[in-house]
Amino acid sequence: MNAYWIAFITGLTTGGLGCMVVQGGLITGSLAQQIERDLAGDGLSHPAGKSSRLVLPLVMFLTAKLVAYTLLGILLGWLGSVLSLTPTTRGILQIAIAVFMLGNALRMFNVHPIFRYFSFEPPRAVTRLIRRKSKNPGNDAFLAPVLLGALTIFIPCGITQAMMAVAIATGSPQAGALTMFFFILGTTPVFFTLVYLAMKLSSLLEKYFMRIVALALLVLGLISLNSGLNLVGSPVTVENTAQATGRLWNTVFMGSQQDALPIHESLKSDIRLEARDDGYFPSTLYAPAGDPVKLHLITNNTSSCDRDFTIPSLNVEVLLDKTGESVVDLPVQQAGYKLHFSCSMGMYTGDIVYR
Amino acid sequence: MKRKYRVPDMYCVSCPMHLEALEDELPGVRYIKASYQKLSMEVDFDETRLSEEQIIAAAREIGYHLELLPA
Repeated sequence: MNAYWIAFITGLTTGGLGCMVVQGGLITGSLAQQIERDLAGDGLSHPAGKSSRLVLPLVMFLTAKLVAYTLLGILLGWLGSVLSLTPTTRGILQIAIAVFMLGNALRMFNVHPIFRYFSFEPPRAVTRLIRRKSKNPGNDAFLAPVLLGALTIFIPCGITQAMMAVAIATGSPQAGALTMFFFILGTTPVFFTLVYLAMKLSSLLEKYFMRIVALALLVLGLISLNSGLNLVGSPVTVENTAQATGRLWNTVFMGSQQDALPIHESLKSDIRLEARDDGYFPSTLYAPAGDPVKLHLITNNTSSCDRDFTIPSLNVEVLLDKTGESVVDLPVQQAGYKLHFSCSMGMYTGDIVYR
Repeated sequence: MKRKYRVPDMYCVSCPMHLEALEDELPGVRYIKASYQKLSMEVDFDETRLSEEQIIAAAREIGYHLELLPA
């Protein structure tokens, strides 16, 4: 059940911001009339009523979105049971998503006009329909936000797309639905707050506000890019660079050779890796070159997502039990080869070094 | 009558929507197509009911400067 907590927290921390980029504009655009009236103060007497004009449609929008995405989750989970998404493919998807996020951040910072293309332009017919419905609601007062909320499944933001990939990877309609449900639920408070604030602020303040969102998006995009690179086994990641820098520091300034094993210790062809709640231990393993190696993956009451263990370059993916041991047979490698492993999201990483 | 404008002030994805909303507010407009990606706006209107100056003024009122592009 921990995966759903992660989905929820991802939504809470990052999803709201990402969705704001693509969908925030849409919902504020459709509620433009209400916003203008609210800012102008049209003299309606009930004080609660003024705010509720904005709050109610927003709540309806978010509810419709939650329902629509949960249904989508069912579809995605089912799709996952039919297809198979390898770690490498997922990594590529994540990199593509990161590029989209970074492009969007640079667009919001007005770095270069070309970044304007990193945005979804909702189809004109849809916005026109919604705009007209919201102006002449009649009995359809609730239709516009609900319709809009449901339509957001066609314009998922970067992080939502990443979650959709996770939903596919669950391979079960139920798990897929729950993953999407908890993620969107997590995005709801942030999304609601941001959009509500953006609607209340004057357009000048809104620009500064957008810059903060853009900055957060930049950071998130870089993190996402790093995760994606980890998943495809790239040597150019923050973790690998940090490790390499650390070793360089030790070698140059401390005169030590961290990589050298004590001479009396021979390399075994059975190696142990523990998947703990805070990552893999040890993060660097040593294995004998020229021999087939058995990798024993140990868990002991582990609830972290590093139970979803992958070796992207070998297309290996094992979902470990909460407590137990799984064995992976590794093919023969040459001396000096570094086999990169990571969790399925590219967050916890490590290497098996062959000697 | 069709006119195409460059709109350099569009800074976000929802900007075109504000311009397209003028479709419903100005009389005699057949359609308005605005694009954030291309920073452009295209209007098709009945020149007997609406003048170009009125369109430009309406856009300025909601914060956008229209620069006429050659046909």
